[in-house]
Amino acid sequence: MEFLTLLSPELFLFVIAGVIVGIVFGAIPGMTATMAVAVCLPLTYSLDMVNGLGLLLGLYVGGISGGLVPAILLNIPGTPSSITTTFDGYPMTQRGEGEKALKTGITSSLFGGLLSVFILFFFTPVLSDFAIKFSYIEKFLIILFALSVIASLSKKSMLVGIFSGVLGIWFSLIGTYDISVGGNGETRLMFGFMEYYLESGFSLLPVLIGLFGLGTILEEAEKGVKDEVQSVDGTSLAVRTSKAGKFSFRVFKGQFVNLFRSGLIGTFVGMLPGVGGSAASVLSYTQQKNFSKDPSKLGKGAVEGVIASESANNGLTGGALVPLLSLGIPGDSTTAVLIGAFTLQGLQVGPLFIAENTGIWHSMVIALLAANFVMFLIMFFAIKYIAKVVTVPKYLLYPIIIMMCVVGAYAINYGIMFDVWTLLLFGVLGYVGSKFGIEVAPFIIGFILGKSAEVYFVKSLESFGSLTIFFTKSPIAVFLWILILISVCYSIYSTNKKSSISR
Amino acid sequence: MGDTVLSIFAVNIDFDQSHLFFPRIIMCLLLLLFAAIVVLYGRAFFQDIRAGRRRLRFFEEHYDKIRLFGTIAGVIVYFVVMDYVGTLFPNTGLGFLLVSIPFMMFLSFLYVHDLNRRKTVIILLNSTIAPVTAWYILGNLFNITLP
Repeated sequence: MEFLTLLSPELFLFVIAGVIVGIVFGAIPGMTATMAVAVCLPLTYSLDMVNGLGLLLGLYVGGISGGLVPAILLNIPGTPSSITTTFDGYPMTQRGEGEKALKTGITSSLFGGLLSVFILFFFTPVLSDFAIKFSYIEKFLIILFALSVIASLSKKSMLVGIFSGVLGIWFSLIGTYDISVGGNGETRLMFGFMEYYLESGFSLLPVLIGLFGLGTILEEAEKGVKDEVQSVDGTSLAVRTSKAGKFSFRVFKGQFVNLFRSGLIGTFVGMLPGVGGSAASVLSYTQQKNFSKDPSKLGKGAVEGVIASESANNGLTGGALVPLLSLGIPGDSTTAVLIGAFTLQGLQVGPLFIAENTGIWHSMVIALLAANFVMFLIMFFAIKYIAKVVTVPKYLLYPIIIMMCVVGAYAINYGIMFDVWTLLLFGVLGYVGSKFGIEVAPFIIGFILGKSAEVYFVKSLESFGSLTIFFTKSPIAVFLWILILISVCYSIYSTNKKSSISR
Repeated sequence: MGDTVLSIFAVNIDFDQSHLFFPRIIMCLLLLLFAAIVVLYGRAFFQDIRAGRRRLRFFEEHYDKIRLFGTIAGVIVYFVVMDYVGTLFPNTGLGFLLVSIPFMMFLSFLYVHDLNRRKTVIILLNSTIAPVTAWYILGNLFNITLP
């Protein structure tokens, strides 16, 4: 019960603050949970680990949940993961059942979130114990597996997904092959004049803040930063309520299987590295469509659609933390930013994390549970006020975000101007890259894992002297190769299926 | 016989050159992937262009030139000037504070549509209060290094 000493009233205040800010970010279309965590990171520089994590986890849960507000009221998903909420949520609003849809969504979010926390709590230590025995070879194969999964579930095509991931690895290798990890201390992938700036490569945080903060703003600037918050068919925002629109917990009657299955799907998809929330909610929505008694109702304002979508995207939160805390591999782009927060505090995430930081681990779980309940209470009882947040103009918000990005980038290494330029560079790169179809999530995961992949790969070869060792080292290695093979085959199969449908 | 098969997989890494070993593999991989993408999707892509189903356009149709390039130019000027002013008042964060206020005003006025008096007042207030608050809370209370 050592962790009880780490729990303080402050922690809960930070969680509450995080959830509120997160909901605001999530509720405003064009601002995401990832952006919320990235922009608020500098606030945690001077907090201790537990309070900082409380804030960030609050932001994460709030950010994912807030997305349902504009999805239901305006038919615009506030975050990518609430796309499927629009399918049934908005038709309900049009029928005057906006409040019912919102409260159903919020309750499903709570359920999905809690389910995923339980899975996180019981599953992560098991996976860590298993992963502790991994040598460099298995660790390299895990990274390879992670990249193959990202690629196979990538939105456009497997090849482009892999390309984005490998490009991320390439960017991570720029800098010195560090002596502390057994390198020879030489710099690579740059010209002589760049050595002064890039000796230790690009810092993770400016890269993340650039891609998710500045990059998003540039995309919006291209579209003209439209402010008129109107739904797709032009009606303005209001939680219109008719008699049929009153919410009662009876809407969940007969929906428990749906709630449970969707939460599980969300959690599971969250565990797969680099696969974002939209995949989770789309998958659970289609499953509900398959299992529904009356599939024709879905898409026309069926409560079960909102339940499936929202339970799944909140299931993501706990799920995405599983690989982060047990293997050191982020489950989605928001947890990738969380890696930055851990590094800031000098903590290494990986198989040893739970064993060495049991107190922090327990308080994280508590903070996550608290964040889910706080999210529920705030959104359930203050939904009418939150709905107004959607109308906060972007011409006031975006300048603040850029300013916060600068603070975050500059302060990360205690005042290096080059980090601020990195922010701009990757903001522009993210914007240009998305035009060419480069995918951000695989890129970021490649960037985060690239350096470790190099060390694991090169050191294994240096000590064993043969490529065959990657296949013959242990049964686990063989097992991982089978998993890699399955994910590659799956992606080839699904690409063929897609192209045969489009023909 | 077995030895010769195994020797194909044997790898010897020269320590002096080991910093280039993995990057070279990654670059080859990037080229291979790029070639594969061109081979697999290139033909369909160019056919689409010839048939007029797809246009080679980088920007969106009717994209907002002023707001997009204004943002990029504004950010560059912001960083340069902030760095310069920061050297005039070292370790005070004043470079950040003094330059953020005009930058935020510029960006808000750039982004706003249908400017009126009420919006002007809100923008002026927002772009003064936000940097001062950030400077005070982050720089002075939390002791975070600011330019």
